[in-house]
Amino acid sequence: MKKIMLSLLCLLVALAVYAGGGSDVPDAAEEKPQEVTFWYHFDDPETALNPLIEKFEAENPGITIKAERVAWDVYNQKLLTSVAGGNPPDVAQVKLWWQPQLVEMGALLPLEDYISDWGGKSDVFDKIWELTKYSDGHQYYMPLQMVILYLYYRTDMFDELGLEVPKTRAEFLETAKALTRDTDGDGNIDVYGFGIRGARGGHDWWGTFVLSSGAEFFDDKGNSGLTTAEAIAANQWFIDLYRVHEVSPPTTPSDGFKEIIANMSSGRTAMTIHHLGSSKQLEEVLGDKLSAAPVPMGTEGSWTSFGDEENAVFAATEVPDAAFKWAAFLATAENNAVWQKSSGQVSINKSNAAAGGSRFLQATTDSADFAGVLPAHPGTAEFVESLWPALMQQAFMGEITSEEMMQSIEDHFAQ
Amino acid sequence: MKPRSRIFPYSLITPAMVITILIIFIPMFRTLTYSLTNYILWKPAERGFAGLENYRKAFTDPIFLLSLKNTVIWIVVIITGQFLLGLGTALLLNRDFIGRGVARSLILIPWVTPSVITALMWRWMYDGNQGVINEILVRMGILDVYFPFLANSHTALWAIMFALLWQGFPFFAIMILAGLQSIPNELYEASEVDGAGRRIKFFRITLPMLKPVILTTILLRTIWVANSLDIIFIMTGGGPGYSTHTLPVYSYIRAYKGFDFGYSSAIAVLLTIFLIAFVAVYIRSILKDGES
Repeated sequence: MKKIMLSLLCLLVALAVYAGGGSDVPDAAEEKPQEVTFWYHFDDPETALNPLIEKFEAENPGITIKAERVAWDVYNQKLLTSVAGGNPPDVAQVKLWWQPQLVEMGALLPLEDYISDWGGKSDVFDKIWELTKYSDGHQYYMPLQMVILYLYYRTDMFDELGLEVPKTRAEFLETAKALTRDTDGDGNIDVYGFGIRGARGGHDWWGTFVLSSGAEFFDDKGNSGLTTAEAIAANQWFIDLYRVHEVSPPTTPSDGFKEIIANMSSGRTAMTIHHLGSSKQLEEVLGDKLSAAPVPMGTEGSWTSFGDEENAVFAATEVPDAAFKWAAFLATAENNAVWQKSSGQVSINKSNAAAGGSRFLQATTDSADFAGVLPAHPGTAEFVESLWPALMQQAFMGEITSEEMMQSIEDHFAQ
Repeated sequence: MKPRSRIFPYSLITPAMVITILIIFIPMFRTLTYSLTNYILWKPAERGFAGLENYRKAFTDPIFLLSLKNTVIWIVVIITGQFLLGLGTALLLNRDFIGRGVARSLILIPWVTPSVITALMWRWMYDGNQGVINEILVRMGILDVYFPFLANSHTALWAIMFALLWQGFPFFAIMILAGLQSIPNELYEASEVDGAGRRIKFFRITLPMLKPVILTTILLRTIWVANSLDIIFIMTGGGPGYSTHTLPVYSYIRAYKGFDFGYSSAIAVLLTIFLIAFVAVYIRSILKDGES
């Protein structure tokens, strides 16, 4: 009996020592090669990421990149919980609207000193430096890629009906109405004019029409501009696309990215909004029946979403120099061009700006002047992730009014 | 038995206890402590003790109350449906027919399919643009046009419940089938001698003999169904609006979309309290029945 007890105790002690001691291995970073942990969220590392890592490691002996893929749906939450848990990656792909929360948590390493010594700075578009600089004056983000949302439309359907690409909101509505039709004469609508993304991520569709027609998150004085008469009317106009004019499919409230693209591919919708990232996939199916143009103008001007992606170096990193080197490597023109092969997006480097290019790239550059971002506010992340979809869906179902929806958004940002 | 040897049984359960404490009790205790704080992940500076504020907030929060209502509907409809469907299936599978072995195996497919796949499969079947369910209903003349089951707040919860009904009924069927096979045939033979018909046999022999199995299965399924999150989350994400929010969904969204761990923990604790209360009442009533 004694023996059994003794051996059991020994086993337990050994287990405890092993479990507790494992994480306290002394850091031998000085002698060992430096390892940079890098988080990314796209599906295909073979096209660009792996060759870039090989190239970087060859150019920087002693530094290895440990790339870890994290699924997009849980990316933001994993990043924030890893910061809260004290174990973030060294470098990670990030979005602008996460920046306020990450800064609030003290998670990011200011990079301005590094950047001022970096030779590639002047080759990145000035507008991108401007958009990614945080309101506290620090530059935490290292640009990586960009997209601007534009209007996709079916050229064959436009030709068939003799339609012009709509330039204004009013023209857009008329065009969408004309495109919404019963093509096989069975009394049911087969094609809808406009595919609206009503699920998560659809705030870009909403912003295109609402933020260009009198609504703004904050005015110059920092006051909310979401519940003015114009803002509520602009939101009502957007809701009516679905409820009154019925120019988008009945599934709109639950349509996410996959449904929007599937509907456009299958001819269920004749127009939608998205960016270069989906052009390859859509073009494969639709060929030259598909084209693109800047989004239509609202009553007060134009607004489209600037889709950004950057890299951030985390303050907890033990290898800040190596981490910055990797982020800077990806922002260098030659490497950034390789990166965009897998992202399908636009390089942030002036020297990569191609003259001419596809009609999709043309629509992107034509929209550059009025592309905007959501407010740098800690509430933006939740607005995008859960508040906007829930409110929009309720408004589409007629469960809340336009005013109630805008008031809820205002209240959220006032917190 | 010598006093010292009484330690031996404890030493045997120690490893299991240590693991249980580490992965169940400590997280449970932390959830409880989180629920008493205003713990918003990205506001580490403002984190502090909040007393029962999160609980007070829950009972005045219309989304919480809606989620609670949906949770009750969710449990009652799914458990009742799965039980009736499972009972019917088990009675059928207990009969002699050609291919019974194959049928018994096939019936398990929904149950062994991972929830994620079940959810994705049903989501596309329900799809209001390309979905096969719409196509069938239109061809049968039941619907005139495709109906967006998951995009309509009046039908979304029912559509998901139907998918879960499909997924979970085989568990009832298999458990009840096992119960059926343990009923001695002599009971039926004796009742036949006494002139009992099929109805009498079912209500006086089959059901009473199955009672322990049914009660245990209902208890297990209630706990699992109450906690199920993945299928709702994948099919609708809790929407449209808040129409498919149940308590686990709301707790998850508060934690991982709003990063409000304090409030999310309070919701999780409340769900646990409701479940424990239900289980306690349920088990007491079983025990009472057993005594009488």
